[in-house]
Amino acid sequence: MASKIVVKNLKKTFGHLEVLKDINMEVEEGEVVCLIGPSGSGKSTFLRCLNRLENITSGVVMVDGHMMSDKKINLNKIRENIGMVFQHFNLFPHLTVLENVTIAPVELKKMSKAEAKETAMKLLAKVGLEEKADAYPAQLSGGQKQRVAIARALAMNPDIMLFDEPTSALDPEMVGEVLEVMKQLAADGMTMVVVTHEMGFAREVADRVVFMDGGYIVEEGTPEEVFGHPKEERTISFLNKVL
Amino acid sequence: MMQIVEILTKNFGPLMSALGVTIKLTVVSLFFATIIGVIFGMFKVSGKKLLKIIADIYIDIIRGTPLMVQVMIIYYGIGQMLRPLGFSWNDYGGSFAAAAVSLSLNAGAYMAEIIRGGIEAVEKGQMEAARSLGLSYGKSMRKIILPQAFRTMLPSIINQFIISLKDTSLVSVISVSELTKRGNIMTANAAGRAMAIWVTIALFYLVICTILSRVAKVLERKVSYGK
Repeated sequence: MASKIVVKNLKKTFGHLEVLKDINMEVEEGEVVCLIGPSGSGKSTFLRCLNRLENITSGVVMVDGHMMSDKKINLNKIRENIGMVFQHFNLFPHLTVLENVTIAPVELKKMSKAEAKETAMKLLAKVGLEEKADAYPAQLSGGQKQRVAIARALAMNPDIMLFDEPTSALDPEMVGEVLEVMKQLAADGMTMVVVTHEMGFAREVADRVVFMDGGYIVEEGTPEEVFGHPKEERTISFLNKVL
Repeated sequence: MMQIVEILTKNFGPLMSALGVTIKLTVVSLFFATIIGVIFGMFKVSGKKLLKIIADIYIDIIRGTPLMVQVMIIYYGIGQMLRPLGFSWNDYGGSFAAAAVSLSLNAGAYMAEIIRGGIEAVEKGQMEAARSLGLSYGKSMRKIILPQAFRTMLPSIINQFIISLKDTSLVSVISVSELTKRGNIMTANAAGRAMAIWVTIALFYLVICTILSRVAKVLERKVSYGK
């Protein structure tokens, strides 16, 4: 199996603050990796380094064989292949649900308007929201917004999906509908990196769970290993608090 | 009241042509001010140090000096300085052109600040979401950020339009034949009627400004989406 993502000796600092200290990780094609850990541990920053929403300080981030820190790569082209879902949805409020999903494929000339619309309707059906195609984001619930955001990211037909705490801003009763869509995506074989506080989801869906703390990867393994038999003191104390 | 009606009827032609000049000057100046404002506003949010410094210098100079002095510098100062090179404002539309340049530069600086503010008010996640889909910086700006920024900017833009419209009265000092200049001429010709004449002139400004702010209210309602 080919590695979709390779990270070596990644360091990231903001001013004097060292957020990521020395991260090494590989993600295989079709693998679902869940990143867990306390707030401020660097999980989200790590995720944002993968599509270069953050420029790395040193080390190597390779996605699909592209050196992400290389100034000469066509970053926009590579990003088309890496979908991202944000904690706060970041839907475009001035566009309808349908336009949110079609804007990237149409603007980037990947599809004609008609094709993009057809694809978008299929994706909206997949996330259970085809009847909301003409609504504006302000008219949707949080869970619906996040499902649209997933559809929007999928519209570019990416190989990799990054999820940055996709359910953290949701009311509890809406978490399930979003996780359901993500489970489906994982079952379809999508390569996924998910920053999450949903331990149930990580246990059930992840191929691998990575526990981060203080800018390091402290422990990683199968859900069974990390949740069932954690070895590190910090992992044990974190899991005791959240489970 | 009777006096105002009399002034209006007696001077209808000249007043209308002065109103025309005021409106033309406002429209031309605001057109260029908007272009200048977008360019320098983008400079300020570009994250490029040099562009930001250029925009800052321009904005500071304009905001730190009175419009009246700016008009003097551009009409008399530039006119005199470039005369050895064969330049004369008279070849380029005379004092009207000098007034339009001054007002464009002046309003442009304020517009730049309005546009910067509007862009910065759009949530940071919007740009990130657009970029993460593979859209370029320029496309993200045009399709995602500016349409949203425009909505928050609209009241301030209209406000600036109203200010600029009233500012045109200052260029009467370089004899542009707009409303205020017309008022000057009329008072010179009809001593003792200063009150009636200037109230008439004021009414002209008041009417256009009121129309503008009404239009703004309608527009504001039109551009709010999905609420």
